[in-house]
Amino acid sequence: MTRITQGMAPSEVLAILRQADGYYITNTARDMSQSDYKNRILLHTDLLAAPAREAAGYFSLEITGGASVHVDILRKQVDPFLKLELLREKMPDTMFQTLCRGVNLFGYRPYPQNVIRLTVREFAKYVDVWRTFDFMNHIPNMEAVFEEVAKAGKINEPCICFSTGPEHTNDYYIGKVREILDVTGDEIILCIKNHGGLGTPRRIGELVNAIKQAYPDLVIHYHGHNTDGNDIGRITAAILNGATIVDASDHAFTGFYGPPPILTVIQTMKDHGRTAIGIDEEAVIATSDAIRDERPHYAQFEAQIKGFLPTVQIHKLPGGAMGSSLEQASKGGFLDRMPDILHKELPRVQIELGNWWSVTPGSQILWTTAVSNVLEGERYGNPSGDLKNLLLGKYGPFPFYRPEDWIYEKVFGRNWKEILDKEGGIEQIEDMDIEKERQTLTERMGAEPTEQQLVLYLQHPNDAVDFFKFEEKFGKAYVLPPSIFLRQGGFQLGETLVFRDDTGKEHIVEIGPAQQTDDGETNVYLNVDHDQRLFVFEPEAQEGSAPVAQLSKQEIARLARQGDIRAPFAGNLYAVSVEIGQEVAEGDQLAVLEAMKMQTPITSEVAGTVSEIQAKVGQALQPGDPILTIEIPEE
Amino acid sequence: MKTKILVANRGEIAIRIIRAIQELNYDAVAIYETPDRDSRHIRIANEAIWIGDGPRSDYLDIDKVIDAALRSGAVAIHPGYGFLAENPEFARACEDAGLIFIGPASKTIEELGNKVKARQIMADAGIPMVPGTANLSPGEAGLEEAIAFGRQHGYPIMLKATSGGGGRGIRRIENEDELAEQYAIARSEAKAAFNDDSVYLEKVVVRPKHVEVQIIADRKGNTVHLGTRDCSIQRRNQKLIEIAPAFHLTPEQSEAICETAVRAARAANYFNAGTVEFLLDADGSFYFMEINTRLQVEHTVTEMITGIDIVRTQIKLAMGKDLLFTQDDVQPRGHAIEMRINAEDPRNDFMPEGGKTISVYRSPGGYGVRLDGFCYQGFTIPEVYDSLLVKLTVFGWSWHETVDRLRRCLTNFVITGPKTTIPFYLNLINDPDFQAGEFDTSFLDTHDHLFEYEEQVSEVNKLARLIAEIHYKRQNTYAA
Repeated sequence: MTRITQGMAPSEVLAILRQADGYYITNTARDMSQSDYKNRILLHTDLLAAPAREAAGYFSLEITGGASVHVDILRKQVDPFLKLELLREKMPDTMFQTLCRGVNLFGYRPYPQNVIRLTVREFAKYVDVWRTFDFMNHIPNMEAVFEEVAKAGKINEPCICFSTGPEHTNDYYIGKVREILDVTGDEIILCIKNHGGLGTPRRIGELVNAIKQAYPDLVIHYHGHNTDGNDIGRITAAILNGATIVDASDHAFTGFYGPPPILTVIQTMKDHGRTAIGIDEEAVIATSDAIRDERPHYAQFEAQIKGFLPTVQIHKLPGGAMGSSLEQASKGGFLDRMPDILHKELPRVQIELGNWWSVTPGSQILWTTAVSNVLEGERYGNPSGDLKNLLLGKYGPFPFYRPEDWIYEKVFGRNWKEILDKEGGIEQIEDMDIEKERQTLTERMGAEPTEQQLVLYLQHPNDAVDFFKFEEKFGKAYVLPPSIFLRQGGFQLGETLVFRDDTGKEHIVEIGPAQQTDDGETNVYLNVDHDQRLFVFEPEAQEGSAPVAQLSKQEIARLARQGDIRAPFAGNLYAVSVEIGQEVAEGDQLAVLEAMKMQTPITSEVAGTVSEIQAKVGQALQPGDPILTIEIPEE
Repeated sequence: MKTKILVANRGEIAIRIIRAIQELNYDAVAIYETPDRDSRHIRIANEAIWIGDGPRSDYLDIDKVIDAALRSGAVAIHPGYGFLAENPEFARACEDAGLIFIGPASKTIEELGNKVKARQIMADAGIPMVPGTANLSPGEAGLEEAIAFGRQHGYPIMLKATSGGGGRGIRRIENEDELAEQYAIARSEAKAAFNDDSVYLEKVVVRPKHVEVQIIADRKGNTVHLGTRDCSIQRRNQKLIEIAPAFHLTPEQSEAICETAVRAARAANYFNAGTVEFLLDADGSFYFMEINTRLQVEHTVTEMITGIDIVRTQIKLAMGKDLLFTQDDVQPRGHAIEMRINAEDPRNDFMPEGGKTISVYRSPGGYGVRLDGFCYQGFTIPEVYDSLLVKLTVFGWSWHETVDRLRRCLTNFVITGPKTTIPFYLNLINDPDFQAGEFDTSFLDTHDHLFEYEEQVSEVNKLARLIAEIHYKRQNTYAA
């Protein structure tokens, strides 16, 4: 009955886990935030919870990784490293855990080896348990992370991603475990990553049992989601069959698609005579009491569909992608097509594309393909760049079977075989010139970046720079509680806001009147620490005031054939692949457009010379917005 | 009707004088030019008279000022510093109009204002002097005199306009070639600036300290000093920080300098308050520089360590009273430092920040803290006057207590809108040399790192900007 604390050597931790006469709990706060609140749970709330979470005695707190690193800088305006530092101050004994997407790290597509290693090294200074997965269960995609984690003296927790269907047999998964152990050696924790909360309790019990039979000394950490409302059942089966660690989170915030409540796990297992090792039940309850009042401020980020979704067993969307998928459906105005998309098209696409694991980035590929298949009316008629990469095997080999030829033909055209022969196979990404990137970042920031800033930049270049600029302008905004930071509809006149800045100093801001002047500017008066301050806002460009002629798809295509390259759909310009004066051939990549986390290369329809680049990297483009111009030499 | 005194000045010094006038139970009359119509000195005075659109020209217009005094029924005029303060014509015009000029007699101002004449008076009285020349002869002859002086006393030397002052009309010459080059230019510039092309030479005391002595005298010739001040920390010969008493002086040195200052004042038949300026060499010898025949900006530090209200004393003396204290009554104690908080950007060569509006003005207070300012939240700093916003003067019993108090005050002093010298001063007082009292007139030139600091936008103001935006846009677009 030993509590595991931060700072123990991995071998010591594993020795304790192997002798455990009960089970341990990981508080997957990060997954709860991602699955049920679009990753928006603020550091402010996590800091409120920190003392009670520390006292609760978890095996680990999953508080970083997944999409959270990106959302930290993109939407929460907090430095992911500083976040860990501040939490560590309040939680000296609790191990911190991350979820790492292997070769995709905390992003959506593969990074070069040297970037992976640098990133892992920086994060390993704060992160004790590294849960690493690959959506194709392709073990080589995780090796660089394994190596760096071991070098840093931290705990490796490789995953086998779990799904259901005739191919997903115990033998298959035991084979995968063997592959992992061949690479890592025995000193690991194995995670069964059930990101969709798929399968029945009985199926999970069987799987845990089968792995335990094959590898009796292997410590198993079961990770699930409560999308169908039955994860407690699966957790129970996992523990009873030999899992040592399970995942759950604080009941004040549990929703539908993330982890189930910790307290329910404890109560259920007690009746089975199993003890949660190191856990202080009072502290578990106290955590929820400490943060309960914050929950209403996050309501705006809860999923558009409320309630459990037992149909997850059909559509298999991972809990972590439920919120963002439903948000897209809502914003895109196709929430009413969800039954078709979720229950008919998604399972069909899933089978057609190989029945691998619906988790990042694979889940996004399945989802966008299914959505586009349903909305466009023509199946596979508008393939994303990532779907093409998948079909070319750039993410790794198909684990069970290759999609049928007709899909290749639909996506790549008649000579798809040639393309597959020429371009197929796993993508070898060349190392990045990190010093050159450091220089670029120095120029963009106007100051030498720290190593951590560089790491964030290498992950998400444009969003990182935006974040650094945000902090310069608005300061350390993570100090603001959700009631301020996430306020909707403005504040009340005379409302008093109290908060502490990053040095702990308390400030008081009283909301004064807002007045519009004759020239359309708005004057917002605030009383800041008893001094009146005026903030002037220029009138915003009225939507629709200057109607932009929308170009049709045909027009955009026609212009492209004349060398006038326009954005074919709405998205952010992720990269421009050419320079002014560069000669390009037909089919050369000109730029990359990013929408819904998916990157789509824009290729040249003509041969010629790049004469002008109109759009800037990072710019949000509407369909028809100019990107660049190619001069076609006269015959 | 109460006795009225007119204050022929603006800004912080006008308010300083108005306060003394009102404390003596007189009424204060302010004057102002149009760009100063929002200045606080108008509100504090008992009455205010508009004298024209200026800028500066009306404050400098003797007839208009005298006329304003006569129209208001004032019996006396306090000139403050700058503008007409050291203009003998103005003092004489007051005397002619039957108005009391609060300061020395016009004749004294005239004699001491002429640098060459002043040197002559002091030399006759046996006051030690930096080697220098009389007014150089016109034309080539003057250049030859200059070259001879340079050969005798060595370089560097200062070429000074006789009618210059306050750091203007001075150039440093490093060698003979430069002298030949600069001589004619200096003359023509002096002509343009002061309508007088006379120039003279002085040997440069390398890296001297600027030490001055406050003196005060009544009409009977009772002359006392109020101790020393160190004004070595300057930029381009303009004082930034003043300290009383002067640092690192032995009691004997201090006594010698102060005694010399009193002798100098007596030699000039000095009446009312004045300042005798000396250069202090590294070897401890000191040389007379000049007598300023006015109230100095930095008089506050002397008031803090002596407890004597210099402006009140000035007025009482001018109104016919005798000095109520003797030299023995003057017992300076502790230390005082004054910092001129200017609307300037030190990192941009002290570029003035005039024209900007003060959006927040929050000043410190408490024990040992004195503020002489005139700004307020919402005040737009006129571009046409000097950039001094407020003088922060702190007192402490020990040097370190004083520096610590100063740091506390600067840290809590919030002025937003224009850039100010506050962050620069914060950097400066944390410098080990400053803390050790090791500074001379080359301090800023030899301490480049003082200019390396970040403009302080307080964290709460950044966050308030975000809150304002969340309010205005009705959501946080950075979190959406």
